[in-house]
Amino acid sequence: MALTTSVYNLFFRRSSSFMFTVFAGAFVFEAAFDTVADGAWDYMNRGRQWKDIRHKYINAAPAEESE
Amino acid sequence: MASKAVTSSRTWFTSAPLGAPKSFKGPIPSASPAKAPLLSSSIRASVIGGKVSARTSFTARPGSVVQQRFYAARPSVSAIGANENPFAPPKDQEAYKAKDYDENGSRTFAYFMMGTYSFIGAAAAKNLVTNYLVHFSASADVLALAKVEVDMASIPEGKNAVIKWRGKPVFVRHRTEDEIAEANSVQMSELRDPETDADRTKKPEWLVMMGVCTHLGCVPIGEAGEYGGWFCPCHGSHYDISGRIRKGPAPLNLEIPQYDFNEGEGKIVIG
Repeated sequence: MALTTSVYNLFFRRSSSFMFTVFAGAFVFEAAFDTVADGAWDYMNRGRQWKDIRHKYINAAPAEESE
Repeated sequence: MASKAVTSSRTWFTSAPLGAPKSFKGPIPSASPAKAPLLSSSIRASVIGGKVSARTSFTARPGSVVQQRFYAARPSVSAIGANENPFAPPKDQEAYKAKDYDENGSRTFAYFMMGTYSFIGAAAAKNLVTNYLVHFSASADVLALAKVEVDMASIPEGKNAVIKWRGKPVFVRHRTEDEIAEANSVQMSELRDPETDADRTKKPEWLVMMGVCTHLGCVPIGEAGEYGGWFCPCHGSHYDISGRIRKGPAPLNLEIPQYDFNEGEGKIVIG
């Protein structure tokens, strides 16, 4: 009860703080959603992407590479 | 005739009047119901004889008893007082609240749900607007006419740069002396697609070529492969430091686009 009251007073009571909560929530939600979606994509395509096989080719090359 | 107990103005609680409705136009028995026979003796005889069906002019005679309708939870008379309408909704809603009802918690939950819908909607709206504005960006046919300038000073010796030109990558390599010597030392007989290094470059220090594998169009990786140049990860084509095919399935050397040097500004103009 005390928790819900303090949450209400902090985030929802004033329209300005409610809007701030909404925009901050949108920012966090979008970042989290993108991270989760990318993670799911990478998991479903694991082993097939360049970043998964990069070490096979990049580490082998520098022997004859003149930097 | 109306029920005396009900003080409500809502007529549906009152009982219907006895007798026939006003609109009834049929013969109304003038005598009292007790005296008048329901059926005349001749009809009764026909009914008994099976000649007359039991059809009547109205299906149900309005009676004095109409079923009363109650609220689901009707307060007892002792709770509301005898003078109040027992059928009116109760003024005090306390009895209907959940036992653990918490006004603050309920309000916070309602605002929380509203806020959640709001920020999901805000994120969706932001993406909608972003996508709409992106579609105003330069289209592919406009980009196809474009030239790309590369600042030569920004690429140190021995480094690659990948530039996007006409939607495709262009490799620009600032080659070292050793690499130029290595590219010139290759025998033409070793090459699948014989080209000298001088054919492929306008200035030996600067190698400019399309970053598209001539096999199936993948993008090769710089500074990789067995010949120290480029390597295509799709099917394992190896290109040397002049971009010539040396090993793997690709049939041709990496393509050289049109390009020029702008010495005054120190730039390579591709296109």
